[in-house]
Parts: sequence; structure tokens; C-alpha cells
Amino acid sequence: MQSLDVISVNIWQMAASLANLVLLFLIVKKFLYKPVKNMLRQRREAIDRDYSDANEAKEQALSDKAAYEEKLRGAAGEADRIIKTAVDTAASREKEIVDGANERARGIIKRAEADAALEKKRARDDIKREIVEVSTLLSEKMLEREVSADDHKKLIDSFIDNIGGDDEAN
Amino acid sequence: MKAKDLRFKIVDILLILMMTLPIVFGIVLQVITEPPSSGVEITGARIFFTIPMPLQDFPITESQINSLIVMIVLLGFCLYITHGISEKADLKRQHLAEFIVEKVDSLVKENMGDFFASFAPFIISILALSGLSSLLSLFGLYPPTSDINIVGGWAVLVFVLITYYKFKAGPIVYMKSFTQPVALLTPINIISEVATPVSMAFRHYGNVLSGTVISVLLGTALSGLSSMLLGWMPGFLADIPLFQIGIPAVLSIYFDVFSGCLQAFIFAMLTMMYVAGGFPGDEYEKRRAKRLSNKKTIIN
Repeated sequence: MQSLDVISVNIWQMAASLANLVLLFLIVKKFLYKPVKNMLRQRREAIDRDYSDANEAKEQALSDKAAYEEKLRGAAGEADRIIKTAVDTAASREKEIVDGANERARGIIKRAEADAALEKKRARDDIKREIVEVSTLLSEKMLEREVSADDHKKLIDSFIDNIGGDDEAN
Repeated sequence: MKAKDLRFKIVDILLILMMTLPIVFGIVLQVITEPPSSGVEITGARIFFTIPMPLQDFPITESQINSLIVMIVLLGFCLYITHGISEKADLKRQHLAEFIVEKVDSLVKENMGDFFASFAPFIISILALSGLSSLLSLFGLYPPTSDINIVGGWAVLVFVLITYYKFKAGPIVYMKSFTQPVALLTPINIISEVATPVSMAFRHYGNVLSGTVISVLLGTALSGLSSMLLGWMPGFLADIPLFQIGIPAVLSIYFDVFSGCLQAFIFAMLTMMYVAGGFPGDEYEKRRAKRLSNKKTIIN
């Protein structure tokens, strides 16, 4: 088989190799460069999208936080107000209850005093009647005779009057 | 989902075959057509057949066939590493694809500026074509880069690019650039302009070819040394290739792998330097600004 000399210039071979290089350039550009660049661009877009999403979410979270803090501050005021009204209500109720209790205690004391007075009167009347009966019995025994009611009455009255007169006299 | 996976795997396997089969084909072709070697012969590429053309016949040689093999392998490689890439980067090969693209992108931007950012695929193709062509010698194939015509074609293309970008600021600026820094140097400038592609082609071709030559010479010398040392022994012992074990492999690492990759890188760097260096950026900007203002006045 024939072979070329070590140095042999042939323009058609050169043209073929030039065309080969151009062809390979097109191949590399179309099948390596374009897909990789496309992919890199897509990746960058995805990353940008993720970043913007994250920023949005962060802003959302910050605004939510501010809203919650606002609400929390409002809640603290509300709680203060509620406690204050509760305390006020409690104070007024306390006064009411104490007043009512005092009132009732006074009523009870008054009634007790009245009862005591009544009881005293009744006791005095009982004693009086007892005395009358005893004295009547005594007089009957002493006189040994039936004293008429009128006499009896007169006698007792005079007796009591005497006692009272004696008392007055003393 | 399963069917899709299966199809994905089948395409993967086909692409891997696309990367390996051409090289196997080249080796088979080499084995079939290689004449019995006499050892020390250093020739150019073997001619398979010749197409008659005007001016000069067009021989289809090993370097043409091997260039085509390299291109098919590279096409398969491009398709393979971009097969199934996504923004999530699930596949390992995607990192390789991104690495290549980003590295070459930054290399081009560093050396040529942002104006030439679209040169990155061209630089990738120069690096890949030149590098893989030189590495073909690892498979025992004829490296197309040791053929002056192949590298010369690339250099011509680079020269066209240099001139095209020099012309961007107008023919007057282009002509003037030859009289820099003084008019006396014009002939030397013209010579150096023409010498650029020639020097690029010869540098690359010479480095790869010299590696082959040195490999052949050393191989011959080593076989001579072994037969000298062991030739007196009886029988097959005399034929033991003592010094041909291991030593050529070490040399191959330098001449095939290191030198091939280095020359590819140098060729790509020189392309970037010459194209960006010849481009009159300031004048181009001025001219464009002038054109824009002219257009504005016409519109107004």
C-alpha cells in the first residue's frame, strides 16, 4: 500500500480537515454547549425563583409577626381592662354584701331586744299572777273562809297598794 | 417510569457504542491493511484510495479516516454527557459536562475578553479534536495530528478568523496595522502575518511527528540493544525483547499523552491569543459608535 511522504502538502486534505473542524465546532455548539447552557440558565432561573419565593415568605412572616405583636399588645390592654372592671365589680359587690350583712345583723339584734323585752313583761305578769294566787291561797287559809271575789280583789289591791305605798314610803 | 428508564439505558449503551466502535473499527482497519513492518521506516499516512480532483488529487488517507473516527467519537461523547442532564444534576456525567463548559468559558473570557465569549465552543472543539487525534496513537492508530495537512487546515481556519476579526474595524485600520510601529517594518509584518498559521501548523505537527519518530528510533535502538545482550543465547532466548518491556510505555506516556494534550492546549491558547490580539477593539468600538450615531442622524 502506498503512503504519503512525511511532509506532503495537499490542499484538498487541508480543506477536508478545515471542514472537519468547522463541523465539529457546530457539533460541540449544538450538542454540548447549548444543552449545558440551557440547563445552567434553567438552574439559575430556578434558584432565582426559590430566592424570590423565600424572600416573599420571609416578608409574609415578618408582617404576620408584626400583626401578632400588635394583637398581643392589644390583648395585654384588654386583659388589664378586664381585670380592672373585675376588681371594681368585686369591690362594689363586697361593699354591698358587707352592708347587707350589717343591716341584717342590726335587724337581728333589734328583734332579739324586742323579744327580750316581751319576755320580761310576760315574766313580770306571771310573777304577778303567781303572787296573786299564792296570796289568795294564804288569805283563804288564814281567814278560813271564802273570800268573795270582790273582797278578794279589794283586799289584794289594797295589799298591793300598801306594799307599793310602803315602797313609796321607803 | 420503568420503560423510560429502560429506554434511557438503551440510548446510553448506544452512545457508549458510538464512542467505542469507531476506535475498534480503526484498529481493525489498521490490522487488516497494515503492511508487514520493517521497523525503522518513517512514512506519512497510508493512502486507501484517491479521488481525482482539480489542481491536486484528493487522497483518502489514514489521517482522514482517523479524523472522522475522532469526530464520531466526540459526537457520541457530547451526546452522552448531555444525555439526561437537568437542573437538578442527578447524573454524574452532568458534572463533567458542566465542568468542561464552565472551565473553557472562563478560560476564553480570561484570555479573549467578553467580546469573544462565543468562541468557547470553538476552543472546546479545537482542544477535543487535537487532543483526541493525538491520543489515537495510544490505540496504535495513526494520529491525524502528525499529518501536516490536518493541522494545516486548522491553522488556515484560525488565520481566516484572525483576518476576519482584524477586518472588523474596516479595511483602512487593517492596512494600517501592518505599518505599526513604523512604516519601515511593513514587509516584516506581512511575513509574520503569513508565518502565524504556518508556525502554528508546523509546531503542532512537528511535535506529534517527532514523538512518533523518537518512539520508532528508540524502539529500534532498544530491540538492537536486547539482541546485542541476549543474541548469543541459544534458541528462543535470543529473541526475548528485554528492553522493549516497559520502557516504550514510559516514553509513550510522555510523547503520546503529555505531548499530545500539551500541544492541543498550546494550539487552543495560540488561537485565542492571535484572534483576540489581532482584534483592534478600540477602533471597532469607535467605528460602531460612529455608525450608531450616523444611523441616528438618518432616522432623525
